[in-house]
Amino acid sequence: MQNKRVVAIVLGVMCFALTAGICIQMRTVEGTNSAVSNNYEENNLRAEVLRYKERYDNKVKDLADAEAELEKERESATQNDTELQEKEKEITEGNKILGLTEVTGSGVIVTLGDSKKDASSSLDPSMLLVHDTDVLSVINELKNAGAEAISINDQRIIPTTGIICGGNIIDINGEKVGAPFEIKAIGLPEQLAALDRPGGYLALLKDYSIEVKLEKSNNITIPKYTGTITYQYAKSVD
Amino acid sequence: MKKKMKKGKITMIITAGIACFALVLVMTMQFKIVNQADITSIENMRESELSTELANWKTRYDEVNQQYEDTLNKIEEYKNNKESNEETNNLMDSELEQINMSLGKTDVEGEGIIININETDNEEVENITADDLLLIVNALKLAGAEAISINDERVINMSDIVYIEAAGVIRVNGERILAPYRIKAIGDPSYLESSLTGNGGVVDDMKKKEQDVTIQKENNITISKYNGEITTKYME
Repeated sequence: MQNKRVVAIVLGVMCFALTAGICIQMRTVEGTNSAVSNNYEENNLRAEVLRYKERYDNKVKDLADAEAELEKERESATQNDTELQEKEKEITEGNKILGLTEVTGSGVIVTLGDSKKDASSSLDPSMLLVHDTDVLSVINELKNAGAEAISINDQRIIPTTGIICGGNIIDINGEKVGAPFEIKAIGLPEQLAALDRPGGYLALLKDYSIEVKLEKSNNITIPKYTGTITYQYAKSVD
Repeated sequence: MKKKMKKGKITMIITAGIACFALVLVMTMQFKIVNQADITSIENMRESELSTELANWKTRYDEVNQQYEDTLNKIEEYKNNKESNEETNNLMDSELEQINMSLGKTDVEGEGIIININETDNEEVENITADDLLLIVNALKLAGAEAISINDERVINMSDIVYIEAAGVIRVNGERILAPYRIKAIGDPSYLESSLTGNGGVVDDMKKKEQDVTIQKENNITISKYNGEITTKYME
């Protein structure tokens, strides 16, 4: 009889623990709102977002075609004049520096990933994550090392690119990207690789057990910025 | 009597076993779902996030559409003026003007804000670091600043802001920058200011550390051009 009671109690405790576990998980799942939400309003919005995204993507393609055609027109309009050809080169070069065309060259690829350490083993678990300020500092060091073009998860850095984090994702050029962050930079590989020096920012990140990888490459392709650069407040004065 | 009890026990154990198995199974499945949830995907966004996302894509669509129309117009103009080198020259000049402005190779003016930062005499207050300036510039870009300079050193695409330990100075574009710092930014003055001074904003954080930062809104700021050469050697 006593034996039975012990078994019943043990089973009861186990069931309770498992049910509690499931409840906690349900909560977590609801918190991240993963694929569970079926709210009508949200689905409508989601469809609308996708529709606009598609329209945007199509327009970006149209724009790329138009830009290629413009380049051809420019070339054919300037072919009989060396002075105009110089200007044409200047335009092409300018667009390249601004990030409006795809570029290739030698450089480095830096990958930053969240720490694989168990979060509960750390006093401050957020230290194990890659933050927007970390990415910002790495980008700044790459610029200091003479980078000519930089992208983060294939988002090209242009003059007005800011970096901000919201939760676990980082917002770059209005696109959301998550860890691991793949930062590509074109420049002199040896000079860019100095980022990995002792006492540098990458070394600091490694101290926090962030996953850091730096590889040199002779063939890096950095995509162009797909948005537009427009001015509403600034005027050129000459 | 003894046998019967044993049978009951076995049934109970089997039932409990099945129940436990089912529960563990459900837990594992849930773990999988949580793992699969891609936080950058719109499938996982809530209503307010989705509204922001929608507005974001609408603006971006409008911008790219505008750019597309502009490009078509340019193509048309080049076609129409093919025979005249002078007209072609003018067209190219206007394109170059826009490019040089974006590159930071022209002086620009417009409304915006000026941020003044002074080092304080109070020894307990932290000194201004290159990181502080970097964070301010990043926040200004996020708030839509169209042109930025620090102590009249123009911030261009590949500008760096670093502290050189050996010399004990901050360098922007390789040029020495000394306190007091004066950061100019052209853009929507109210928006630029509030994004810095709002709760958790960069300037808000600095003020909490009792650092001496003031912001003034201006109707007309002139930001001078980048003085160096922008050259490329490694990219094609």
